[in-house]
Amino acid sequence: MEKKEIIGRNPLKMMGYPAEDILSEGGFGALVARAGVGKTAFLVQIAIDKLLRDRNVLHISIDEPVEKVCLWYEQVFRNIADSSGVKQLDPFWELILPKRFIMTFKVEGFSVPKLEERVTDLSEQGIFFPQLILIDGLPFEEMGRKTFVDLKAVAESLGVAVWFTMKTHRHETPGPEGMPKPLSSVEDLFDVVIELQPDGKEILVKALKGGPPESNASALALDPSTMMIRSAAAAAASGRKAQ
Amino acid sequence: MNSDITSVRNIGISAHIDSGKTTLTERILFYTQRIHAIHDVKGKDGVGATMDSMELEKERGITIASAATFCEWKGHEVNIIDTPGHVDFTIEVERSLRVLDGAILVLCAVGGVQSQSITVDQQMKRYKVPCIAFVNKCDRSGGNPFRVIEQLKEKLGHSAVAMQIPIGAEAKFEGVVDLVSMKALYFDGDNGEIVRAEEVPADLREDAEAYREALVDAASMFSDELTEAILEEREIPESLLIEAIRQGVLQREMTPVFMGSAYKNKGVQPLLDGVMNLLPCPSDVSNEALDMEKDEALVSLSSDPKAPLVALAFKLEDGQYGQLTYIRVYQGTLAKGDSVINVRTGKKVKIGRVVRMHASQMEEIESIPAGYIGALFGIDCASGDTFTAPNLSLTMTSMFVPSPVISLAIVPKDNKSQVNMSKALNRFTKEDPTFKTFVDEETGDTIISGMGELHLDVYVERMRREYKAEVETGQPRVAYRETITRMAEFNYIHKKQTGGSGQYGRVAGYMEPVEEEFVFDNQITGGAIPTQYIPSCEKGFRACMDKGPKMEFPVTGIKVVINDGASHSVDSSEMAFQAAARGAFLEAYAKAAPVIHEPIMKVVVETPTEFQGAVMGLLNQRRGIIVGSQDEGPMCVIEGQVPLSEMFGFSTVLRSSTQGKAQFTMEFSAYKQVPKGVAEELVKKLAKDKKNAA
Repeated sequence: MEKKEIIGRNPLKMMGYPAEDILSEGGFGALVARAGVGKTAFLVQIAIDKLLRDRNVLHISIDEPVEKVCLWYEQVFRNIADSSGVKQLDPFWELILPKRFIMTFKVEGFSVPKLEERVTDLSEQGIFFPQLILIDGLPFEEMGRKTFVDLKAVAESLGVAVWFTMKTHRHETPGPEGMPKPLSSVEDLFDVVIELQPDGKEILVKALKGGPPESNASALALDPSTMMIRSAAAAAASGRKAQ
Repeated sequence: MNSDITSVRNIGISAHIDSGKTTLTERILFYTQRIHAIHDVKGKDGVGATMDSMELEKERGITIASAATFCEWKGHEVNIIDTPGHVDFTIEVERSLRVLDGAILVLCAVGGVQSQSITVDQQMKRYKVPCIAFVNKCDRSGGNPFRVIEQLKEKLGHSAVAMQIPIGAEAKFEGVVDLVSMKALYFDGDNGEIVRAEEVPADLREDAEAYREALVDAASMFSDELTEAILEEREIPESLLIEAIRQGVLQREMTPVFMGSAYKNKGVQPLLDGVMNLLPCPSDVSNEALDMEKDEALVSLSSDPKAPLVALAFKLEDGQYGQLTYIRVYQGTLAKGDSVINVRTGKKVKIGRVVRMHASQMEEIESIPAGYIGALFGIDCASGDTFTAPNLSLTMTSMFVPSPVISLAIVPKDNKSQVNMSKALNRFTKEDPTFKTFVDEETGDTIISGMGELHLDVYVERMRREYKAEVETGQPRVAYRETITRMAEFNYIHKKQTGGSGQYGRVAGYMEPVEEEFVFDNQITGGAIPTQYIPSCEKGFRACMDKGPKMEFPVTGIKVVINDGASHSVDSSEMAFQAAARGAFLEAYAKAAPVIHEPIMKVVVETPTEFQGAVMGLLNQRRGIIVGSQDEGPMCVIEGQVPLSEMFGFSTVLRSSTQGKAQFTMEFSAYKQVPKGVAEELVKKLAKDKKNAA
């Protein structure tokens, strides 16, 4: 019962997508926002949802230590549990821990062949078989199109979808349909692009590409204090209350 | 004794085992004229300094690494406090870190920041110990102090800034350029005792200017005056720069990095100057005690020698004249003839002889004022005890002591060893509250228990070395526990009427899992069980916690609630209710889905990248969950959670799988449920052991 409630908080379902997994095998999704807006928190919410559905998640973080990534999970998990009214956290935590693998790289140390080698190493030894890959903090501008094309090939061969976070900058003018500039050269490789946009005291969640069907779409916002997703109406209401 | 507290430094030298801590300490003692000859660290066979320095430390352990070695440098009093570097010795490490005010973090120019350096650094962070770094072994092939500075920044998050740059590299390492005075320093004489200051060599001028600029820039964050001087392009006085750096160090916002080669007698004296100029004196550091009367709330101590006394006994040593207790006074003054209270025992203690370890002899002193370290004779106490003035109930260390996670049976080889072993165990249990010993009633074996395999290994080795007690050790045993996973009710009647007076008692209620070890809740109303028998009920339940019905492991995490019962006016007794409680416990326990818990360790392995797969395989084979892997260029750090029972002999396997290039640290993380298959194995093993014993 409790597990169902937690899963019910899947951010993508809340956005109005009909299924929890909106990316197909080899599919790419991107969460774009300026620094500090809540990309990692959103990403971790996607991960926790997947983990609770008994799937393995490989979380790749660029330039962040393993310990910090763990803290993100603990914090987001606690917030989800709080908002779902779950009292006993440990059993769920025990359940998801073996299904998560964190890999961190320095920017200069990251390369697709290296990642492929590591993943192969893990699966050949029967240690870990990823069913979803998250890549947090990859500098899109520095990587070049080839990296993404190669990553797509790896994702297809592994049969997994990949979610990325991408940092945008205030001074950059977005391209057509609001697509951020660093994404322009690789946009065709991405099936879904979701933007987190600060709007006054709120952070609005908006699909720039591959959004949910119009009929289902609901306006969402991130709670700036917990970085948890909630409906924009609820956010506005609590904002009014605070005033 | 110097009365000026600003000229006192209580420092620790924290280091990874191979980074040359022993050699550096030896050189410091030589230059401060604490010892008068430098022993050849490198053996005749030229095996290399590392092994030899370990040997030296073993042989001369008490001289070099005694609890607090006192020396003097340029009018300053320095107490060098021994800091054990391994995580296994949690309590000991934490105690030494409480005592020191600042530290030198020694790093190897070749190995750089390694996993043990990370552990040591984390401990210093936890206790907010300001530190300066010394990059040793700059003369070694592959030594690169600037790489180490980068690692300090990246791996440890220090704001590390070079105080010096090397003159020459590796085998051609000649000295250092001091970026504060902008002088080149060379170390002459047989043992480098003469420091010669020269002009900076022309080929290093540009580099030195650039690094000095970085240093000044970093230091300017801590001094408005320095910032002004920079903006006005004025000459920057040395004292101004040093003071700014010192502020950065005290706030733990800056780590100045010195460099040299202790083995080649280079760079040690400037480091000592750094200790005096940059590390805090006792009054710079704010110390806190725990108030026992206010649920261990934090209380700030003042370094006023006239305030009521608070002092910590941090180390015991067996001396010629009995137990020598090293003590640091935090507040007030501890004087000969004073009556003080040992907070742990609540007993009043009269202070007899007060001494200070000075050169090779002891110096009798009258008192130890706040901020100073001394030693006492004839005081019966344990390491970690706090002494206070009467009417104060402050303690320097929390009374919480983690339970041991591993135990080992030890058998003395002969009668003499038996006697010595008892003496040793008596001493060790006083020194270290996480080290425990008891006699197993069933087997008659002496059991020692502690926080890890290495923890126990070291004590067994110390028994041999210091007490000449030869002992044989059994297989290490993990401290499993039992607990329940759901609520279960009990309603048990203990009735016995066969001969003699009868016994009658009925106890009803329920048990449920809780976080605490054991909770007893009496909800009896209307006198269903007479009040005088309630403590017997609790005693009966509590007695069952020692040995669980499932596997005979200690039981934890149970709340027992009694809410009904019955008694008999003649046949009920304390004994009867104890028996009824035991019966009730067994009845409910079986229904409460009991499980076995085992200690899980956080294991961090640092390995060259090419062995990453192999190391992960090793952890995986040991029922480990790999939390993640962190790429650090040529090295990689793998973090996992592994059951302690699977970690025996891991160091040997790790060495052989990685050509000796990987290393690991391990610390207790949590107790977790044993998987079903493993629990069944444990049941079988227990049955087999019982059969064999019978």
